[in-house]
Amino acid sequence: MTNRILLSVGLLAAGIVGGVVIASTTALHVSPSFPYVSTTAHQFAFKPRTDDQIPKTPFGDMVRLGENIFRDPQTYAAKYVGNDLHCTNCHLQAGRLAGASPMWAAYTAYPAYRSKNGHVNSYQERLQGCFRYSMNGKVPPLGDPVLVALESYSYFLAKGLPVGEDAPGKGFPALAKPAEPPDYKRGGEVYARACASCHAADGQGQSSANKVAFPPLWGARSYNWGAGMTNVKSAAAFIRANMPLNLGGSLSEQEAWDVALYIDSQVRPQDPRFDGDVQSTRKKYQNTPMSMYGQTVNGAVLGDPAVTPPSGTVPATAN
Amino acid sequence: MLMSSQSLATDTAENSVLSLLYTIPTAGARRWRVAIVALTLAAVAVASASAGESDVAVGRMIAAQSLIPGRVACAACHMENGAGQPDVGIPRLAGLDARQLEEQLAYFAKGERRSAAMAPYAVALNNTQRRQVAAYFASLPVPAEPDRLASTPQQLARGRSLYADGDQHTEMQACVQCHGVTGLGVGQFSPRLAGQSAAYVADQLARWRAGDMRDPKGAFMQAEARTLSDTDIAAVAAYVAHLGQEP
Ligand code: HEC
Ligand code: HEC
Ligand code: HEC
Ligand code: HEC
Repeated sequence: MTNRILLSVGLLAAGIVGGVVIASTTALHVSPSFPYVSTTAHQFAFKPRTDDQIPKTPFGDMVRLGENIFRDPQTYAAKYVGNDLHCTNCHLQAGRLAGASPMWAAYTAYPAYRSKNGHVNSYQERLQGCFRYSMNGKVPPLGDPVLVALESYSYFLAKGLPVGEDAPGKGFPALAKPAEPPDYKRGGEVYARACASCHAADGQGQSSANKVAFPPLWGARSYNWGAGMTNVKSAAAFIRANMPLNLGGSLSEQEAWDVALYIDSQVRPQDPRFDGDVQSTRKKYQNTPMSMYGQTVNGAVLGDPAVTPPSGTVPATAN
Repeated sequence: MLMSSQSLATDTAENSVLSLLYTIPTAGARRWRVAIVALTLAAVAVASASAGESDVAVGRMIAAQSLIPGRVACAACHMENGAGQPDVGIPRLAGLDARQLEEQLAYFAKGERRSAAMAPYAVALNNTQRRQVAAYFASLPVPAEPDRLASTPQQLARGRSLYADGDQHTEMQACVQCHGVTGLGVGQFSPRLAGQSAAYVADQLARWRAGDMRDPKGAFMQAEARTLSDTDIAAVAAYVAHLGQEP
């Protein structure tokens, strides 16, 4: 085993005997305590079942398909997907992580009335919304294997939870109102310091070996103007608990609000409910101060069709 | 062959680093030091390289010739082809990102990244030389060399699962998230791991777990390594060392 070392220096060895021993002046390092208070996951008791518990049955096959779709919808549900995001980009750890809108907590909360569409939604209908908005894609019909698989996966994870009660860890941990109104300029500074090294300065994310590693936060390949993440409050809560990846809880609440406003004030695909007029679409569907749609930032109206990529851009080959 | 995290995390002096990390028998260790002294005679003033030479060419000279009287050159440890010595935990430098190499040399020099083995070499380089030697090692093709450490199929399977899916019990993020599916790293954010020395990878993970920061970006890895057991460190290290070497 020492051969290779000897080989590397042997040529140079001229037979001089002696040793160089350097006394170290480095003081023994004192470990800093882990600097971030995790605000989310670990304090919740519920542990969803793990992959090794997926049964080897036709039902288990559906669960696995659901997990595959969740992790890689471009491969397993291509004809319904119009951007570069994966479900797991926002519902972290394949929909398992508390505080990142986990699928087990979602599953036990449906059917439910949603003001977004004004009627009681089944779980499958809730899933449809994710394809239409977060994935900027097309809606799989009710009963489509894609929806059945995602429903099976969620059901599998939820085993043991009471139905009809909000499970602790559902959604994103609520954020208090910010001390100061969220600010675009401050948000840009937070972004440059804490986010750009992964999501890139232009928000388009980064790839490794042609696979998206860090997802785009805005632009034509990200979520559209109808998605839940365009609500600044939801985005701030998600970010505060989960970003930067592995360092969730490290931003102050104010920083989370500021940076959420910043990313939700950028160009992204059109709201699929667009009726031809930004202000009228805003009034009908997103009439809340938490939506930047239709507001003017840096002299431009967000959602202006002249500069806004289209919605529902599924790949032509997948149809 | 992987060292226990305890001994790896507490090295304080170059000789203890060498004996701990490399586990060289006494005879070997003596000859290693012989070689170090012998090199003094061979030390050549690299500074004389003409201004027209490219960074890579000057960097190559720095790598091959000692800059410090009484000490070996980079190539003595990292090899001239940049392959490192995977079996004893000396990292491969060939094909790593030039800016990342340069940054790490600066952290060694500042003492922020603590390594008794590397510090004197990094201190001896000025900013320009750091850039040049980084450019040289970055320009080298990644040697197709099998990992020197034996690993079992079970270890590789466990390592693959940690790498690709993380740990559902401890909620550890998958390595793939930040180092890419094939372990090539992501841009200038995270280093390439594919084919890196398993002993080196295991050592770095154990030190992050013990609370060492290494450098500001080490915060990401500190959080990552927090919950890894010794067995899992060995498994994931074996796996990344094999990445890119499957037929
Ligand atoms: C861009 C981030 C993003 C992506 C990608 C995304 N979602 Fe969501 N999802 C959200 C947000 C934000 C909410 C909460 C929405 C709200 O409250 O309006 C949500 C809510 C949900 C819910 C309801 C959760 C609950 O507790 O009621 C389900 C189910 C869901 N998503 C499934 C999916 C699936 C399946 C995919 C992939 C096809 C997906 N999501 C992709 C951001 C995302
Ligand atoms: C270590 C790299 C890293 C850093 C730094 C980082 N992120 Fe992320 N981010 C990710 C990864 C990876 C995902 C996808 C997570 C997954 O798939 O598990 C993600 C997902 C997201 C998402 C949801 C997906 C999408 O594309 O919209 C948002 C929003 C987000 N990050 C915002 C931020 C913000 C804001 C910051 C800075 C405060 C930040 N991130 C810092 C790596 C990072
Ligand atoms: C005595 C043997 C030795 C010599 C000589 C040596 N190195 Fe190192 N090098 C090491 C060891 C051991 C490490 C791992 C350090 C640690 O434990 O963090 C290392 C690490 C590195 C790293 C960090 C790699 C990474 O992936 O982060 C760089 C860069 C590097 N060396 C460059 C050099 C250069 C350039 C020289 C010559 C100027 C040099 N080394 C000389 C032993 C050596
Ligand atoms: C949240 C992002 C993230 C995740 C997840 C992650 N890494 Fe890293 N890794 C980094 C960053 C950033 C660096 C550079 C750290 C530095 O410069 O100190 C790094 C560096 C490393 C290094 C040092 C390489 C070298 O050349 O010195 C090793 C080894 C490593 N990671 C292994 C792993 C393993 C194994 C996993 C999974 C168990 C993992 N990483 C998961 C971000 C991550």
